Amino acid sequence: MVAVDRPLTPPLLRAESAPLTAHLRKEFRDGRALTFALDVAVEVPPGFTILSGPSGAGKSTLLDCLAGLTSPGAGRIAVGERVLFDSSAHVNLAPQKRRVAYVFQSLALFPHLTVEENVAYGLGHLPLAERRARARGVLDSFRAGHVLARRPGEISGGERQRAALARSLVTDPQILLLDEPLSALDEELRAGIVEDLRRWNAARQLPVVYVTHSREEARSLGERLIALDAGSVVAQGAPQDILARISARDGMGR
Amino acid sequence: MSFESLLLSLRLAAIVSLLLLAIALLLAAWLAFGRWRGRFLVEAFVALPLVLPPTVLGFYLLVAMGPRSPLGRLWSGLFGRGLAFSFEGLVVASLLYSLPFAVQPLVSSFRNVDPRLVQASALLGVSRSRTFFRIVLPLSFPGLVTAFVLSFAHTLGEFGVVLMVGGNLPGITRTVSIAIYDSVEAMDYSGAGRLALVLLLISFSALSIVYAVNRRVWSPWTAR
Repeated sequence: MVAVDRPLTPPLLRAESAPLTAHLRKEFRDGRALTFALDVAVEVPPGFTILSGPSGAGKSTLLDCLAGLTSPGAGRIAVGERVLFDSSAHVNLAPQKRRVAYVFQSLALFPHLTVEENVAYGLGHLPLAERRARARGVLDSFRAGHVLARRPGEISGGERQRAALARSLVTDPQILLLDEPLSALDEELRAGIVEDLRRWNAARQLPVVYVTHSREEARSLGERLIALDAGSVVAQGAPQDILARISARDGMGR
Repeated sequence: MSFESLLLSLRLAAIVSLLLLAIALLLAAWLAFGRWRGRFLVEAFVALPLVLPPTVLGFYLLVAMGPRSPLGRLWSGLFGRGLAFSFEGLVVASLLYSLPFAVQPLVSSFRNVDPRLVQASALLGVSRSRTFFRIVLPLSFPGLVTAFVLSFAHTLGEFGVVLMVGGNLPGITRTVSIAIYDSVEAMDYSGAGRLALVLLLISFSALSIVYAVNRRVWSPWTAR
């Protein structure tokens, strides 16, 4: 277990910005036999935290638990003082109430709606004019304003990623989860989108959990890294330190 | 008069398939997304008309609609006449008879909607019922068309149940399939042939529509 902790210097925290803390256990069984257990305690401060680990390590399960799409057997999940899940207090907020933005690997854009309708979809409580104005505003900050009248099937991969990001962020969430949404893109496109996301988050300082397989991304993107393996956290801390240790241990420096 | 029986059947099929669309929508949504583990029992019950001989179904329906049954008494208390051997009785019987043809396509198209889309909607703060109407239902468009067309075509061609529950009253319960049977009995092969051809053409067109929407020959959400 590598535990490297570096004091974080939070730049101009907004009143809303609060860290995500979670400890939870989720078991999967086949009949009675335990097939997989995710058992983790993580802290995600404002800013980018990389979540990495091999396939089957439990990354997507962890994100699904945080978002409320599946329930852990036991544990507690909170954003600042706001409790999203607490098994001992029988708190389990529905995904609708969690204010968690989550961009799936598949993006899950609604194929029958235009990009603008996709982004405005979560703003149903607002008057139409305001819905459209907000949707356009977010799409512009992710440089996807030019495709708002098209459907997801009619735009490029990069534009789809931008639309999905805009849709998840327009509803003013408290945390952002990204499950390898940019893995299908080439380096240049990916860097551009990450840059826009960083700029967008500079003022807001949301905790962002960014799942990736790529060491390069882990090194360049994250202020913090959580390494998962077989359902457990094997390291949590500054990416350079963790990657250096892993490389030294595995003898595959890169 | 054969034309009269054709109109009667078309009217019956239109009423039944419209009513069924509403009933099947609710039932299929519950079967596809409900949490009760005994749902398979309801699915089996809905599918019964697929395997039961129409005469068996018709027999039970006739008993259930009879003047001494609770349903029969309720009906005559409300409307002052019996349910069996009436057009309304045929509608009730056809609803049950064609139920699987409306429910099954809807259930399978609801289950085919990517669960990530439903989850994405929930994460954006949208309720389950609103998600159903804004996401699941529009994406199940081929299933909706299939359900409507199949229950229409199936009701149009029903014979055994109609004979048991409706009898053979011209203009009230004599449907086109019974008129064909009567014509053949009366050695009027040309009359039977005309009606049979009409049914054949309608059924073929209906199935062509079903296969076209399901192969995306035509769809309102062209995604290419």
